[in-house]
Amino acid sequence: MTHGFVYNILLLGVPFSVALLLASLGEMFNQRAGVFNLGCEGIMCMGAFLGFLPPYFLKTGPLAPYGILIGFAIAMVAGIILGLLFALVTVTFRAEQGIAGIGLQMLGWGVAGTLFRHYVGGVTGVEGLAAWAIPGLSRIPFLGELLFNHNPMVYIAFLMVPASWYILFKTPWGLKVRAAGTAPRAADSMGINVNRVRYQALMLGGAMAGLGGAYLSLCQAKMFADDLVAGRGFIAVALVYFGRWNPVGIMGGALLFSLAQSLQLSIQVGGIKFPYEFAVMLPYVLVILVLSLTRKARMLGPSSLGIPYNREMRY
Amino acid sequence: MKRLFLAFTMLGALVSGLSAAPPKAKVRVALIVESTVDDKGWCQSMHDAIKAVQKEYGNTLVEYNYSEKMKPVDAGSAARQYATNKYDIIICHGAQYKNLVNEMAPDYPNTTFVFGTSADIGGKNVFTYMPESEQTGYLNGIIAGLVTKANIVGCVGPVDGGDAARYDRGYVLGAKSVNPNVQVKVAHTGSFSDFVKAAELAKTQINAGADFLTGSSQQAMGALKVVADTKDKTIWWAGQDTSQLSVPEAPKVIAASSYNYKAVVEVLIAKREAGVRGGENIPLNFANKGFVFQYNDKVGKVLTPAIKKAVDKAKADMTAGKLPLAWKEVKF
Repeated sequence: MTHGFVYNILLLGVPFSVALLLASLGEMFNQRAGVFNLGCEGIMCMGAFLGFLPPYFLKTGPLAPYGILIGFAIAMVAGIILGLLFALVTVTFRAEQGIAGIGLQMLGWGVAGTLFRHYVGGVTGVEGLAAWAIPGLSRIPFLGELLFNHNPMVYIAFLMVPASWYILFKTPWGLKVRAAGTAPRAADSMGINVNRVRYQALMLGGAMAGLGGAYLSLCQAKMFADDLVAGRGFIAVALVYFGRWNPVGIMGGALLFSLAQSLQLSIQVGGIKFPYEFAVMLPYVLVILVLSLTRKARMLGPSSLGIPYNREMRY
Repeated sequence: MKRLFLAFTMLGALVSGLSAAPPKAKVRVALIVESTVDDKGWCQSMHDAIKAVQKEYGNTLVEYNYSEKMKPVDAGSAARQYATNKYDIIICHGAQYKNLVNEMAPDYPNTTFVFGTSADIGGKNVFTYMPESEQTGYLNGIIAGLVTKANIVGCVGPVDGGDAARYDRGYVLGAKSVNPNVQVKVAHTGSFSDFVKAAELAKTQINAGADFLTGSSQQAMGALKVVADTKDKTIWWAGQDTSQLSVPEAPKVIAASSYNYKAVVEVLIAKREAGVRGGENIPLNFANKGFVFQYNDKVGKVLTPAIKKAVDKAKADMTAGKLPLAWKEVKF
């Protein structure tokens, strides 16, 4: 069936937002704890590559049906390990977070590309995760296909929004995370181990970035290539600012960016006279515009964001 | 008139003579690429061409080295090292290297620098190469125009520039030549390597009613994957890379073409041997065997004799120079 213009935009925009949403939610925990991780892109690259490997190699045999599941699990574990590495560098060694993040980005991108070349050799597809229509709900006119006929990771990602909100605002651990990012000295004086909380947040952030990367290779493109992530890790970091460090705001940002992306593709395909160069820029311009217009939002951010914590020093 | 004829004849003889003659002395060739030499796409095609020439002429006559993952910023340093190490021909495979080549070339007048795709005429020691890819686009367009049942076909383009722009416009011309009512939806991702965006664009095209797609650059694999994964309707594909005929998605690929850079490398070596170090543009087209075109007979009945006949005739006409394509006039 040929869909309508607006329907198409909505239909494609939702799954397009998932990788960004997952990575941004993870990055939100990082930043809420006081650490920004520009290496999100590198973790996504590793997640995309390692997530791709199990279904690629397990095409036959008893584990074949579980290849995708194993892929997601490995991508998350890789994310945790890289998050741990970043924590070691920025929390324990107190390295400058921006520089360390760029280093991690290059490490992840480089290692993923090198291993891909060695073990796979060229762009190759995998079966990937198929769409799963939710019985009953997927038959609702208009909304059914739009909201309830996606691959399971789409549902999981959007369920993570309330889950993240609950963890962050309604659990003791969430309170510790916010305290570590806003008033680490006060948190320390209350017996909270700031560094441990930051380690935990970075591991969680890494796992979600890895998952976001694996979503790209297993659900979206269903293949891996050197530049598969293509800057989405950096967009994810920007979306945390955009969403004011709140899961709901981040979801709004991810959807806005993805719908703008989908809009620009539909504008081109629809034959609407509009320079494609500007259409391609549209999502990025939109994010910059909103960020510029909400400068005050910066004040809502964690006040110790980017500052290594050293209990022996006064700031 | 006789002089003119004689001049053309001599030029023709010179070009044909230049196109496949082994060098008398050893030639050192270096290749600089932004991706890797085994990327099953853009970079590998040039690497394979140089290796093929090396195999044909022998390792003793052609020495070859390459540098991968060279962004334009890094490529300058690599190219200078090759030049100072007395490499004869340095091929910077990508239009993004244009500035650095043009800036560096005067410093090493004995070295032949090459970049492309570009239709520019460079300095005295700079060659450029430009695939006239409107020809391959035209053939794929003919197939699209004859295969489509919805009368809507799509093209997943990277950017509207260089050989991609020519390919896209050739595709439009080809489709319209056999099916004037066909609607050709050309759109661009703004990238050569964003597989995810190419996939999204393909989905958008299919949702907009397209039942035949094509695409150029390495990211096209993302779009082809979507074509292969579409189960609820039949979508076909024509490729701009013959390696697509051997991937798991190949059952959806009716035909594919590729650039044959071997012709370019041979001309470069021959020109240098003849004392010409640059100042020329080398085209790739069917006439000089710069393109390879292959059908995929495994697709079955969709590839009808009528399609083959139309495509073969167009190809023969282009090879003979009887089918000029006004690709510049095509507006999206």
